[in-house]
Formats: sequence, structure tokens, C-alpha cells
Amino acid sequence: MNGIATTTTSWNAGVSRLVNPPRLVITKLARGATLGKPHDSDQQRRVLLATLNRLNDDAPLDHLILDEALDP
Amino acid sequence: MVMLENRDTWYTYFKDNWLAHYEATGETNFKIYQHPKNEHAPSGKGVTLSQSKLILITSAGGYLKNSQTPFDAPNPLGDYSLRTFPTSTPFSEIDFAHDHYDHAAVNTDPQVLLPLRHLEALVTEGIIGALHDMVISYSGYLPIATRTVDELYPEVLKLVNESGAQAALLVPS
Repeated sequence: MNGIATTTTSWNAGVSRLVNPPRLVITKLARGATLGKPHDSDQQRRVLLATLNRLNDDAPLDHLILDEALDP
Repeated sequence: MVMLENRDTWYTYFKDNWLAHYEATGETNFKIYQHPKNEHAPSGKGVTLSQSKLILITSAGGYLKNSQTPFDAPNPLGDYSLRTFPTSTPFSEIDFAHDHYDHAAVNTDPQVLLPLRHLEALVTEGIIGALHDMVISYSGYLPIATRTVDELYPEVLKLVNESGAQAALLVPS
């Protein structure tokens, strides 16, 4: 997307790293729950904000790993 | 910007292995699937998020259940079309057509994949400058990477470029 800053998050570190997007946040969440546990708004916002905040920096960025998972 | 490096090599391997097996047996075998690999990440300037318009792209297969045709989720070769709907859409009007993830979480709380209300709150809080009023949606089971690049991505790019957004968030499923 020429001229448009992009960012994404993924629970699938292996495949996402292969694609090599300009801004990537990796979690230990799960397929079908990319942003966090259902009704856990705090976790969903943490993942979302970490992903969005990457937009403030020039790309490509090193991939950011977040310690966010479905299980404690 | 190259979205699929080594395109010809990737397609030849795909055609001779995964696709050949599918055409011979009708089965999809991801043990013989090679995920696309890019050596280079695209470069680009960052933005000041609090002064920028953001557009949301989702690959969770969301669509308006009362007015749009669902994605062809059972298709073993994928559905490379897209849908758009307003960001203000109530979750009660959205369903998800995607057969390759467990829908238990998204049916319980759609914001695990489609953070519409979170993004609206972040605009209100001044963290995001503005949210474009259209969501770009597709169903992310897309085994034929060349079709993704040739059919889906140009449509996504056209919509993003027309949107006036300075930033895009992709939430995969």
C-alpha cells in the first residue's frame, strides 16, 4: 500500500514472519481469537494498542513479541 | 512493492504439489503446502496516529448477514472476493463465513477479531485521529497466493487508496 502505513498482529508467528510485513506484533493467542479472550477488553485493547502504536514509526520494524495468551 | 517474491517458483511448487494432489484426490493436504516467503519487508514512513485516519481490514470473513452474500467458505480453493460494510454496524447484523477457525470466540465476542467498538473508543479518546467509516472484509482462507495478489489485493488497494486513510490495520483470523 504505497504511501499508507500498515500494521498487523498475529498469533501465527511462523507464517506471519515468512510474509514479512512492515509492522508485525506477534502474540501467543490463538486462531479465531487474534486480539484476545472473549470479553477481556483489557487484553484486546493491549494487543490492539501495541499493534496500532507501531504505526507511529517508520517501517520496516523488528517484529514485536507480546506476552499475551489465552491461558494465564 | 512486490507482494509475493519468487512468484513463479512459488506457483510452480504449488501447482506440482498441493494443487496436483487436490485435483487428483479432492483433498487439501497442507503438509505439502509451501507458505509464501518474502525476504524483504516493505519500507515506509510512519504516521502520527492521533492525527491520522485509520481503515480496518479484516480477514475473518465478516459480512452483513441480511444484505450480503456470504463468502464461499467451504470452497477448498478459497474465495478471493471482498465485502465492505460500515464501521458503525451493530454486531448483531454481522456474521462470519470462514471455515478455517473455531467460531466459538467470535460468536461470544466479535471484538476478538473485529474491534469496531474498541476503535471507536480510541477515536473518542484521541488516540486515533479518525476511523474510516468502511470496513474492508475478506475470508482469509486463500491457498492460491497468486490469486490473492492478482484478484483480491488490487481490490483492497483500490478501496484503501480511495479512502483517504493514512494508515491501515489488518486483523487476521
